[in-house]
Order: sequence, then structure tokens, then C-alpha cells
Amino acid sequence: MATDKALDGFGRYAGPATLILASLADGAKHGYALTKDIESFAGVRVAPGTLYEALARLQAQGLIEPVESHDRRRPYRLTEVGAATLRAQLDAQRRVADVGLRRLAQGWGPA
Amino acid sequence: MSGPPERAARLVRWYPRAWRARYGEEFTELLIAELAERPRSPSRTADVIRGGLVARLADAGLCGGAPQAPELARAQARAGLASLACCAAVFLGVGGAIWSQLVIGWQWSAPDTAGTAVATFVMTGTVLVLALLALLAALPVAWTVAVRLAHGQARGLAVPSALFLAGLAIMIVGGRHFGNGWPGTGGHPWARTGLVPGGVAAFSWASTLWVTSFWAHPAALAAFPAAELTWMALSPLALACLVAGAATAIRRAELSPALLRFEGRLGAAACVTMAVFLGGGCAWITGWTPRPGSLFHPGAIDVAGLAVMALALGVACQAARQSRRGPA
Repeated sequence: MATDKALDGFGRYAGPATLILASLADGAKHGYALTKDIESFAGVRVAPGTLYEALARLQAQGLIEPVESHDRRRPYRLTEVGAATLRAQLDAQRRVADVGLRRLAQGWGPA
Repeated sequence: MSGPPERAARLVRWYPRAWRARYGEEFTELLIAELAERPRSPSRTADVIRGGLVARLADAGLCGGAPQAPELARAQARAGLASLACCAAVFLGVGGAIWSQLVIGWQWSAPDTAGTAVATFVMTGTVLVLALLALLAALPVAWTVAVRLAHGQARGLAVPSALFLAGLAIMIVGGRHFGNGWPGTGGHPWARTGLVPGGVAAFSWASTLWVTSFWAHPAALAAFPAAELTWMALSPLALACLVAGAATAIRRAELSPALLRFEGRLGAAACVTMAVFLGGGCAWITGWTPRPGSLFHPGAIDVAGLAVMALALGVACQAARQSRRGPA
């Protein structure tokens, strides 16, 4: 499935890209709102330059799109391809987390 | 002391014009909010500067993912090809100086080492291939631009075309004039036949006269005839006009996907050929042993030239790779 590999080409931006897609999953947001939202749920502050590099790449890949706005702060929203990509990305991360937690429990005892 | 809007405006200037046109307003708003919340953050400043430089590289078709939208993919391919043309010009400007030094030397005496002979043969062969590739690459682009100009559809193409033609005319006229005016480049009754016609060697020598270590010795430079000094200063400017005009025309011309793919393949072939040329240059420098009165003595300028050519080749390879990722 193409969406399984959609973030492969993002390299060092795959992390910020996943955070942005996750943030946009509950609705459109502009740059500053994205920064604050990601900080609240992930505990990391994505710096402005990194945020906009990732936004530009996500938009070029068709995973997000700008929302028409009269404000200078343009919001972005997830596209259908972006939603499928995020789902695939999070599924892959969950598989890794499940394996890691299971092995931790076997080797080091339950948390 | 400037406020957040002024500081944000200064930071946004690190980004290229096209990027600012698309993201400038919203990015400025984000920076103003960030600066109001945290006035001092060296890591944020560094991140914005790094992002601006990356955006400039992407604008030049030297990095970035393969865009999904066809028009963005074609724009990336054109940007990559334009950068490739610039790198090839730098490579050939410096490489032409080295090559002409060898082929002119061969007109007066046979190469004194096997490495020099092999290098001269290899570099001469690759110059021929590069000239053919350049011709194959330039003709369809020139035709596309000419057709658009003739139909009045070439917004933004007239100035770069004029720049290119002016630079080309100056290089041809000046190269021939100064090439013919120096007996060491052919036509001298004592000269041997040489590997290439004397006129070709002379033209290459005269076109690359500005690639010289004399710039580091102003007293010696001052002894040059005024006309030659003027040409040494003018010819790199003319070459820059030629290359800038060609690169801008490539970026602005609406080249078809098929033509972009064709140009991308030629670009890849040019990179391979330039690598072989560079190998020839390295063979000359590493294989040469000091001999009194040798006409093939490599100097520090030649070693520096090879380093510049290696850098230009590296960037050209990256540009060729990016240009081929775009058009489907």
C-alpha cells in the first residue's frame, strides 16, 4: 500500500511530519496553533523552521492542504491520503511499541 | 531595539523569494507569535536560518522530496537542470583552462610522462563528448524558447535569452580575437601538429584566460597589456551572463515532461563524462614527475582547479538526481 511508505522520503522530517498529521487529525490549525498543540500532547516544541519545512513537504506530497482564509495565519487540514498515511504510520509505531512493551515485560517484569 | 515584527521580517529574508511568496505571510505571523512568547532563543534563530538555507537549496533543485503535483515536479526538474547547467559551466570553465594548457603544450613538444599523454587523450575525448551533449541539450530548449518567443507566449524569457546571446557573442568574439593574437596557441612555424587543431586550443585558452594564479600577483598582472587585462576581467562576467541567461530560461520555459526526461538523461550522462574528465586531470597531476623545462608542469592553480571541479561535479550529480525525480 502506497501510504505505508509515504513518510519514507521525509528522512529527518518524518518525526515532525507525524506530529503535524496527528495534530491535524482533529481539525485544521495554523502554524502557531500546531506548535502549541504538539507541545501539549507530545511534550516537544517544533521549531518554526523545522515546522514549515515539514509543512511544505507534506503539502507537496498531498498529505495536507491549506484552508481558504482571510487571516494572514493560514490553517492547514489533513487530506484523505494524509489520514490514511497517518493511520499507517501510527499502526507501524504501535506494532513497535507493542513488541517493545511485551519484551520488556518478559525480561524485566511488568511495569 | 526592534520589535517582533521587524525581527520576524529579518529572519524571513533567509528564505528564497518564491518560498516567501508562498509561505512568507503565515511564517512571519508564526515568528511574531514565537518572538512575543520567547524573545530570545538562539536555537530557534539557528533553526530558521538552517530552514532558509535548505529552502534555498530546494529552490535551486538540489534537495527535497519528489512532489506529487505535476507542475511542482516539473518546476523541481527545471530547477535541477538549471543548477546542473551552472555547475557544468563552472566545471568546464576551470577544466577548459587545464585542458588548453595540455593541448597547447603538446603543440610544442610531446608529453613527457605517460600520465600526461593519457590525461590529454582522456580529457580531449571527454571534451568532445561534453560538447556533443551540450549541443543535444541546448537545441531543443533553444527551439522551445524560440517558438514561444515567436508566438509572444514567452513572458519572462526575452531578458534571459538576450543575456545568454550577449554573453555567448562576447565569449565567441573575444575568444577568437585573443586566441588568434597569441602565437603560442597555434600557427607558429616551430610548433608541432599537436592533438587538436591550434585554433581550438587557442580559443579554449583565450576563453579561460581568467583562470590564472596571476590574480595573486598584482605586480606581474600589471605588466599585462591593457586589452588582455580587460578581457580577463570581462570574460568571466560574459560567461556569468551566458550561464545566468541559460539557467533562467531553463527555469522559466515550459518544457514538456518528455523533454525534461530527455534533458535529465543527458545531465546524468554529462556527470559521468565530467567524472572521466576529472579522472584525466588527476592522472596528469599524480603521474607527473619534475623535469627541467617541461611544458606540462602542474601548478597550485591546477590542483585548486581540480578541487573546484570536484565540488562542481558533486553538486551537478545532486542536481541531476533531483531533476530526474520530478517529471513522471
